[in-house]
Amino acid sequence: MTEKNPLAVAKGHGPALLLLLVVTLIGLPLILPSTTLATEILIFGLAALACNLLLGYTGLLSFGQGIFFGAGAYGAALLMIHLQWGMLGALVGAALFGALLALLVGALAIRRKGIYFVMLTLAFSQMAYFLAYTLSGWTGGDNGLLDVPRPNITVAGHVLLDLADPRHFYAFVAVLFLLIFAGALRVIRSPFGSTLLAIRENETRAAAIGYDIRHFKILVFMLSGAITGIAGALYAMLLHFAPLSNIDLMMSENILIMTIVGGTGSLFGSLLGAGAIVLLGDVLSELWPRWLMLLGVILILVVVFMRGGLWGGLADLAKRLRPSPAVDGKTKEQL
Amino acid sequence: MLDLYLFQLLNGLGLGMIYFLIAVGLTIIFGLLNFVNFAHGAFFLLGAYLCYTAVALTGNFWLALLIAPLAVAALAWMVERVLIKRIYHLPHTFQILVTLGIALIIQEASVLIWGPVGKHIAVPPELRGVLIIGDFIYPYYRLFLIGFAALIGLGLWLLLERTRFGALVRAGSESTETVSLLGTNIFRLFSLTFALGVGLAGVAGVLFAPLRGAQPFVGPEILGIAFVVVVIGGMGSFGGALVGGLLVGVVQSMMSSLWPQGASLMIYGAMAAVILVRPYGLFGRA
Amino acid sequence: MQRRTLLKAGLALGALGSLPLGASRVFAEQPLTFYGLKSMSGPFASYGKYADMGSRLAIAEHPQLLGQPLKYKVIDTEGNAGKAVRKVQEAIGQDGARFFQGCTLSSSALAVSKEINKAGGVFMTPVGADEITGKDCNSSTFRWSVPTYGAIRETLVPLIKLLPEAKRWYTITPQYVFGDALLDNARKVFSEHGIEHIGNSYHSLQEQEFSGYLTNAIAAKPDVLVLLNFGSQSSNALRQAVNFGIKDRMKVLLVWSAGLDQFQELGSDVLEGVYLGAQYWHQVDTPLNRELVAATRKAYGINPNYPLAADYIGTRVMLEAIIKANSLDGAAVSKALQGMSFQGPTGDELIRPGDHQVLKDYYLLRGKPQAQMQDDDDLAEVLHAGRSFIEVSQTGCALA
Repeated sequence: MTEKNPLAVAKGHGPALLLLLVVTLIGLPLILPSTTLATEILIFGLAALACNLLLGYTGLLSFGQGIFFGAGAYGAALLMIHLQWGMLGALVGAALFGALLALLVGALAIRRKGIYFVMLTLAFSQMAYFLAYTLSGWTGGDNGLLDVPRPNITVAGHVLLDLADPRHFYAFVAVLFLLIFAGALRVIRSPFGSTLLAIRENETRAAAIGYDIRHFKILVFMLSGAITGIAGALYAMLLHFAPLSNIDLMMSENILIMTIVGGTGSLFGSLLGAGAIVLLGDVLSELWPRWLMLLGVILILVVVFMRGGLWGGLADLAKRLRPSPAVDGKTKEQL
Repeated sequence: MLDLYLFQLLNGLGLGMIYFLIAVGLTIIFGLLNFVNFAHGAFFLLGAYLCYTAVALTGNFWLALLIAPLAVAALAWMVERVLIKRIYHLPHTFQILVTLGIALIIQEASVLIWGPVGKHIAVPPELRGVLIIGDFIYPYYRLFLIGFAALIGLGLWLLLERTRFGALVRAGSESTETVSLLGTNIFRLFSLTFALGVGLAGVAGVLFAPLRGAQPFVGPEILGIAFVVVVIGGMGSFGGALVGGLLVGVVQSMMSSLWPQGASLMIYGAMAAVILVRPYGLFGRA
Repeated sequence: MQRRTLLKAGLALGALGSLPLGASRVFAEQPLTFYGLKSMSGPFASYGKYADMGSRLAIAEHPQLLGQPLKYKVIDTEGNAGKAVRKVQEAIGQDGARFFQGCTLSSSALAVSKEINKAGGVFMTPVGADEITGKDCNSSTFRWSVPTYGAIRETLVPLIKLLPEAKRWYTITPQYVFGDALLDNARKVFSEHGIEHIGNSYHSLQEQEFSGYLTNAIAAKPDVLVLLNFGSQSSNALRQAVNFGIKDRMKVLLVWSAGLDQFQELGSDVLEGVYLGAQYWHQVDTPLNRELVAATRKAYGINPNYPLAADYIGTRVMLEAIIKANSLDGAAVSKALQGMSFQGPTGDELIRPGDHQVLKDYYLLRGKPQAQMQDDDDLAEVLHAGRSFIEVSQTGCALA
């Protein structure tokens, strides 16, 4: 690992990035053929963003994101079905549940590094799957959890937003996405975020300076778990259904792929990655049943030619179009 | 009742030898190249399919057992030359992404070539039938599997311990710099090791074919088992792969009498426990 | 369909290069589109491929429906229930889709049926989950395949009569809702007929290695081994059972076989002498089946298998119901389907109004030895055909 870490963090200007996001959030349902597709992209964008906090900003390659996604979906669904919790309560519940599981998984997993860390998260992911499958009384097992409600947002018995309409639900998810994105942006630009980057760049040095690395890693794990939990809950509400596949290894794998393809170290990249992978699946599966082969080719091409992911590719493109040495030096090794 | 457990024990050993074969290739590649191969399961299924084609063409399972793994190894060698050697130095993230891509390509190509429905490969006529001693029954083919896998294991051990190639691989696992100082073409060594490791997955695919058929979507399951075995035994450790394989095989077999639904849960639980308690596995070195 | 596909392709490329193409989203209302839910990609591709062929055959019989051109659109469920539901929502929301047929996975079918019901559409499916016409039934959803109750009755009971000496039976069951439903029904048959159920091995839904369970079974010395799993699990269980020489020691029954495509994979080596339950068999001599076999051979050069036949008849019956209702209104078509009787692949078939279950035959087959096979697909002979269904009042289904 002596060579320069290719996961450089792109740093745009905060307000500009948020403006770009707002434009994207408004534009997405207008240019896509369906709002449900746009909603799915945002949901997976959230999951990828949460994964990115671990991978891009802390250097933790987690195969356990499906645990939090599935847990969020089951958690919110059960709260709504059995305790009749409302939309916001269910989302908070999902976030807490995700964070709690992330605390558990994170606290154990971060005791190991490198490939052993990866393998630990993989093992936990498999265990979570078999657990969900075994607890079929709660999760519906292989049939999945059916009849998940999508409650309206009400204030004092007054319906504020009728979420049964897919466009309203999209708007709701978009606002949530914006809030979480802005929050995550603040976090990574805070001293906390700088510490995470320091850990990613050189753990030993960060420890030598006196940071309690364990503490930081667990916290970022919980943050990631909470956001992924919310994403899972939103997915269950979108589908009115929480399938067992939410919590399987493929889900973890997909979230990772979206994160890396979008570009690690860029929160906006995660949305790009989720958008690209979801759209690719949606379009290619209609054209050719063997489309996964093309996905395989794309994964390889990304690693060979575009290691910074889509965001990195765009940044390179922008740089080539408008050469500006001042920016050039900064984006490479910022901090 | 004791008979039953004896049954399961032997069964588990047979299963474990196959798991050993699947895992040992993965572990060799990891040991020397520090490379995480998520396409290992896909090469396994390719071995099974090539076995099917070879049997269909020649009508001879033994020929297939020779040809299919060689073909898999040759393909792996080419893939290594073209692609893999470019990514050894990259973080594991990218290695995983590339090999996931390769796995998807192999899986979908198999569906294109051999169709979505699986293929059946018959047990070779010489090995049909079962060994019966009193109440005890065991298929000849599975007995052959245990013996053959042991033979391959022995051959591999000799290769690693008694030849110049093996010495280089072992030295390389410690430090690649040392080996290149010896004036060895390190890239050729890498290619050969990669081909060997993947070829072993091909052997396992062929040997497993009469029991499991050739099916396009078994890759992830096989990969999962290989990881469990390698982690439990210790990444990069030959002995670890053997002991890990046998352990997982026996546990899985025993659990089918005791608590079948829990078998998978337990295996992955064991994997997690080993990493936490003995991070470098039962046989790995720090 | 082409236009939308192209548009989406353009969008994907745009998203890849992040150069969003300015495109309007004006879609003409299509006159009548029939939607096939098929697992074309992903791990159940083998099913989706043939199911799609079946639907296309039925669609080809009606170039026009109620004076409008009939279009057929495949929704690839990708073998993933989440994707399936989202795509169905999209079809309903954007294109006003109403008529759906298919699904491979029970989980997909259950979730999709709720969405279609909410939209007032019609959905016919051949999946295995009893809940479809049981506790999760609804007014929009119809099911062609025989439930677990009938599958067990029509295989175990005739086999018990066929093998009067066989008193000790052993079962191997996948542990989840579907497996347990088969097992419960089997236990009832055993106790009714004085059969000793000497043991059961549960296995997980991911299991592919059955040597452990088979040794359990051998140790118990049963007369008959009953496999209650399906798909690749049953293929591997059967393969490994033959490997253990189990066929020489006991009879083997696979209650829920996949039919011809599975038999072709396994070959007569494995199947000879094995008893097999099946929803459909291409050699059954009924008027409609003769037509179907001829049409399938003409169109694809193969014999129809279960997914092909099930989705053919499912699609055909829905189209007939649209004609009968003379309306494109979902409720009217559902009404027309209720109580409809028609010529099906298994003979005269009837849609029961109370739970929307199609009443049709289930078969008990026996694998033929190679020497007796007339052609490559002549892998089994029909020993028994019959129908058993529980009363509507016991299904747990309450149609509004």
